[in-house]
Amino acid sequence: MLRLFWQELKFRRNAILGWSLGLCFFPLVYIGIYPSVASEMAGLADLEIYKALGMSLGTFQDWVGSILIVFMPLVASIYAVINGTGTLAGEEEDGRLEMIVTLPLPRWQIVTAKAVALMISAVIMFLVVATVSVFVFQSIESQIETDMAAMDLFSAVMSAYPLVFAVGMIGMFLAAFAPSRRVAGTIAAVILTVSYFGNNLAGSTPVLEPFEPFFLFTYLEGTGKAVMEGQQAGNLLTLTAIGLVSFALAVFFFQRRNLTVGVWPWQRAKVESK
Amino acid sequence: MSEKIIETHDLTVYYGKYRGVKNVNLSVERGEAFGFLGPNGAGKTTTQRVLLDVIRPTSGRASIFGMDSRTHGVELRKRVGYLPGELALYKDMRAEEFFRMYEYLRGANGANGYWRDLAKRLDLDVSRKISNFSRGNKQKVGIVAAFMSKPDLLILDEPTSGLDPLVQQTVMEMVREVKADGRTVFFSSHILPEVQAVCDRVGIIREGELVATQRVEELIAARLNRMTLIFPDLPPVGIFDFEGVTEISRTEKSVVLEVRENLPKALATAAKYDIRDIETQNMSLEEIFLDFYGKGNGGKHA
Repeated sequence: MLRLFWQELKFRRNAILGWSLGLCFFPLVYIGIYPSVASEMAGLADLEIYKALGMSLGTFQDWVGSILIVFMPLVASIYAVINGTGTLAGEEEDGRLEMIVTLPLPRWQIVTAKAVALMISAVIMFLVVATVSVFVFQSIESQIETDMAAMDLFSAVMSAYPLVFAVGMIGMFLAAFAPSRRVAGTIAAVILTVSYFGNNLAGSTPVLEPFEPFFLFTYLEGTGKAVMEGQQAGNLLTLTAIGLVSFALAVFFFQRRNLTVGVWPWQRAKVESK
Repeated sequence: MSEKIIETHDLTVYYGKYRGVKNVNLSVERGEAFGFLGPNGAGKTTTQRVLLDVIRPTSGRASIFGMDSRTHGVELRKRVGYLPGELALYKDMRAEEFFRMYEYLRGANGANGYWRDLAKRLDLDVSRKISNFSRGNKQKVGIVAAFMSKPDLLILDEPTSGLDPLVQQTVMEMVREVKADGRTVFFSSHILPEVQAVCDRVGIIREGELVATQRVEELIAARLNRMTLIFPDLPPVGIFDFEGVTEISRTEKSVVLEVRENLPKALATAAKYDIRDIETQNMSLEEIFLDFYGKGNGGKHA
């Protein structure tokens, strides 16, 4: 399984490089420009439109929270959706998975190797973004007023990782469950979008409040307070649990999946009446 | 008693409302090369995929080496080499990297590095990226991957597809060597000379059902010739109505016959009606099979 895992990680080399560079755009540009826009940001702090987008802009910590704990993980989640659905359903559709599942490997090992490779690739991206964020912060620290330390910033970025873990595993579960990558990817994208906007709008739209527990972003606080004090342990555990349950479901359904066929699980065993 | 390497019992697969295969009963013995024939969509690939536990049966069962494909998939796949009909490879890898990975993942079964000999034999440059290969070279990669562990059973789906004639010959030699080594080959192909050259028995599957299985030499003996006789004026109906000859169709100027015996008599009869031309056609193995078995009316097993 280790070899399969390394191979899977190797397949993601270009993705890791490309997405890491892409995600570094957030600290390099948005954190880098903060000193020049700080005074304007303070004036925009209470606008509803920004709240609806999950942004709080009053202080540097709030700004960091909005950019690196909300937007950056949102974009990283797109990688998790693409890769989570692609690594099972995508490879199944293009035929490569057939070459692997006909080897003497248990299916649970195949899913596990792919899941671990996906999650480690995301960890590497987060580490790159966190490290770049620290460098950017240190280069502007003298121009801004903040109590934040470099380590706070590093931890804040890394604390958003469980969200991407949960999304990636949901993607893998859907890939093992749904008939095609298109269906799995669509459902995962809907979950991600609804979670993001649902959580942001829930504060100002009472009708959405009862649904808040179902929005993944509910468990990721993008505020200055969360940057300074860290995410609530309960929230991180919830996201981790969602990821682990999704992974377990991915294994369960992949074990039973009729590969190369493209049907829902309940379409599998209909015998023609004689 | 010879050992059964592949066995299926009433194997049925449905994909929702779509039929995969239906009540397929099949057995292949050790050291045998078994040709599996049928038109596209007949269920050949489905059967192979069930054998390797890629697809699970709706009912019935499939076994390899006496082990149930569903419950002992990992164990039996250690001894099986598989070439899928729709071959897809990791294009970003060099062929060499792919074989190393594949050898490690599947276990070499004491055949470490055998892929090098196979690649050399097929004239495959393993240092090149798979994405740069032609279709034929990609097929060679698949063939090497299937043979590289010297498996006890080879399941090959259209193995010579996309290969040039010389390489096709080499692949056929490789299959014969596997057979000579006492190992078993389950071989799907549309190409009659290939099947004739390497297979001991053939089975034909049509619309998901195994129509028949038969030894190749028996089939050849029962082989029909199909001929189109061109006349200036069409002869009367029924003149070719004798033993071993069947009139299949007729147009304004021609009569199509299937001739199993009494060929001289058929030609002599045609000559009486001022025959102008004869076109002969070798029937495909599938056609021979279907004719031999009365268009699949029940079939029989050898």
